[in-house]
Amino acid sequence: MSKTLKGITLKGSAELVAEFFSFGINSILYQRGIYPAETFTRVTQYDMSLHLTTDAKLKNYLTNVVSQLKEWLFDCTVQKLVVVITCLETNEVLERWQFDIECDKTANESSAPREKSIKAIQEEIRSVIRQITATVTFLPLLETACAFDLLIYTDKDLEVPEQWEESGPQLIDQSEEVRLRSFTTSIHKVNSMVAYKRTNSI
Amino acid sequence: MDDMEDDTTIFSTLKSFKSLISCPDRSLLETEPGFGRSGLQNLYTKRVELEEAAERVRSHTSLLQLTQEKQQMELSHKRARIELEKEANSSSRDLQREIDRNRELLLQIRRLEEREEKANQALNEQMENNKALKRNFEELHKKANEKDSKLAEADQMISELKDETRRLNQQIQIQESKFSTQNLEIQALQEQLDVQRKKFQDVSQRYQNLQTSHSTSTESELKMKELERRLALQEQDSVIVKNMKSEVARLPELEREIKRLREENTFLRETKENNSLLREETEGLRRKLERMERVMEEKLKVELEKEKLEHELQAWENIGQSTGLNIRKPEDLSREVIQIQQRELNLKQQNYTLNSSIRSVEKARTELMPEIAQLRAKAQEEQKKRENQDSLVRRLQKRVLLLTKERDGMRAILESYDSELATSEYSPQLMLRVKEAEDMLQKVQTHNTEMETQLSKAQEEAGSFKLQAQMVTTELEALKEQQVSNAEKNTLATAEEVSSLRQKIEELESERQQLEEQNNILEMRLERHNLQGGYDPVTTKVIHLQMNPTSIAKQQRTEEVEQLRVECQRLRDRLRKIEAGGGMTTDDTTLIIPPSQEILDLRKQMESAELKNQRLKEVFQKKIQEFRTACYVLTGYQIDITVENQYRLTSVYAEHMEDSLLYASLTDFSLTVLGTDLHLFHQKSIPVFLSAVTIELFSRQTVT
Repeated sequence: MSKTLKGITLKGSAELVAEFFSFGINSILYQRGIYPAETFTRVTQYDMSLHLTTDAKLKNYLTNVVSQLKEWLFDCTVQKLVVVITCLETNEVLERWQFDIECDKTANESSAPREKSIKAIQEEIRSVIRQITATVTFLPLLETACAFDLLIYTDKDLEVPEQWEESGPQLIDQSEEVRLRSFTTSIHKVNSMVAYKRTNSI
Repeated sequence: MDDMEDDTTIFSTLKSFKSLISCPDRSLLETEPGFGRSGLQNLYTKRVELEEAAERVRSHTSLLQLTQEKQQMELSHKRARIELEKEANSSSRDLQREIDRNRELLLQIRRLEEREEKANQALNEQMENNKALKRNFEELHKKANEKDSKLAEADQMISELKDETRRLNQQIQIQESKFSTQNLEIQALQEQLDVQRKKFQDVSQRYQNLQTSHSTSTESELKMKELERRLALQEQDSVIVKNMKSEVARLPELEREIKRLREENTFLRETKENNSLLREETEGLRRKLERMERVMEEKLKVELEKEKLEHELQAWENIGQSTGLNIRKPEDLSREVIQIQQRELNLKQQNYTLNSSIRSVEKARTELMPEIAQLRAKAQEEQKKRENQDSLVRRLQKRVLLLTKERDGMRAILESYDSELATSEYSPQLMLRVKEAEDMLQKVQTHNTEMETQLSKAQEEAGSFKLQAQMVTTELEALKEQQVSNAEKNTLATAEEVSSLRQKIEELESERQQLEEQNNILEMRLERHNLQGGYDPVTTKVIHLQMNPTSIAKQQRTEEVEQLRVECQRLRDRLRKIEAGGGMTTDDTTLIIPPSQEILDLRKQMESAELKNQRLKEVFQKKIQEFRTACYVLTGYQIDITVENQYRLTSVYAEHMEDSLLYASLTDFSLTVLGTDLHLFHQKSIPVFLSAVTIELFSRQTVT
């Protein structure tokens, strides 16, 4: 394990970031009520209690995306990961959770591992996930049935794998944006933000 | 009483009057003796007195009358008062009575009002009760209506069910009739079956014959086919033989051709080798050609360059002539250039030194300016001091003059004193005074000299200060002239540059500010764009999995919607059918209305009726079969129905199955034999005839 003792390598950083995305997306799905709360179970990660889905189809989908994402993180070809929440009745995009990924391209497979402690990275990740949980207080309620989608922004010349296809950015019409915390593994830096549809009440 | 009093007063007054009358008489009488002057006077006086008395009496009577009147008035007043009091009393009594009555009436009114209120309350309660009762009544009415409606619905249902039962009974009857007809049909069919069976047997025999003949024919056909095949083969062989012959005929020609082709082959191979050699040569030549062409191009370029260089050389050579310097080689040019550069450097150094000297001089000037100011101030002070000292000197000189004058005077006095006094006792004192005066003089002289020296020093200092000031002013003027001259030299060259540079600087600064603002705005926009999720399509693209939860959910939704639409359509059709058909439908739809108990009962009844029907049919069939066989056996005739009201009789002892001789119809009781009406009846009775026929046939049978 290259990330336990000797510092962070490119591969270890990709694994850390992919792991964060897996737990982060599960937290978002639980907090926003996209899937019923009883389909989630609790696990301990980053020294805190997080939710993980038990739905087999959803798990399968997430593992597919996250494993592909890990590869692209290793190649430093991915720029953003976006969780898009759409209302099924009106087909409108209600929320966008956007994670910008900045990759230090000077790091490659054979470069020396960088000095950053796992504890510090986990601490940063913990604060990001706590903040995601806290944002639920000011986000507008999702009253209608919603579904989610994962979009990945990559370099233009990337070869699109078989089961993937190009799509639009699925932007929100009249949105409010809030920037959240970021964390860095010294090779990859992840900035988080959430954009939600402005509600026209009051 | 009053009258009485009045009377008494009248009487009293009369009495008094009388007395009065009598009194004057007495007085008159009394006076008579007293006075003897004249009786007339006495009479006169008496008359006067009497008149007076009469007047008095009259007044008294008038008084009395008045008092009477007054008393009468008073009486009347009293009476009136009494009457009024009486009236008042009576009226007060009446008032009280009225008041009492009023109170009583008020009490009554109150009682009545209370009664009214009670009555109103009772009324309101009654109204409320009424309303409640009305509501109850309405509710009951509604319930009754509902029950009526329900009853009506139930009646409708009952009527519908009754209709259904009627229809079902009709259906049962129809089916029974159908059953009977079907039985008859069955019998007819059975007869037909027998007939068919016989035909079948004949047909089978013929079929067997046919088959044997078929087999023979097939054998012959096979033989024929074989022969035909052999024929065909032989034909093919003949054809082949012909072809072979033709080919064989062609053989020598082919051999010739082969020889020719071989020769050609060898020739072509040789030529192929030559070809390859030639191709290599051509390739080599082509490459040479290309190289030569390239070389030509390069040569052209080189010639052009050579021309250019020649031109440049000539230009360079001409420079030497044009500039007038001693240049023949580029080394000279470079030397000249170096010299010029050195000169430039020197000039620049001089310039810098001059600038520095200017600056230092300016600094010195600025430093000296305050010193100058100070010196001027000092000079002014010294002037003032000098003036003061001059004034002092003048005063002192005046004082000195005065003192000298005093001294002269004193000396003169002293001389005078000395001259006057030969030996005096005052000489030591005078000597002392003289000494003192001389001392004073000396002091004054020394003071004077000191003052003069001070004055001279001050004058010298002032003079030196003036000189310094003058020197400094001259230096200042010289520096100013230098500065002006420098500035004049430079302004011509650099004033324009400086102004233009300043303008440029200002413009550039304003541009820079604008650009900075634009940059900030663009950066903000970009940040916002980035936050909202926008991207640069040239460098990035957005991808996602095809099978993602949103698309799956959308698909499910559309499917659900389609299913719901289909169901909706189906339900609408069902509704239409029910409204049109009024109940039962025989398609895939079923009754929407939950079947009521009656309908279930009716269905059960119907099923049971159908079962009964079937059982009855079976039973009837069996029974009829039994009966028919019994009839056949007992009477000797099988009776079949061919057509309505036509019966065919077949005897037991008939020789053939189809020998049904007798046809009877019940309507006209006629009997036909083989198509002809039989009018011969044994005593016009059908049974007798039939029995006779059986006996005949039986006799025939037994004989044969």
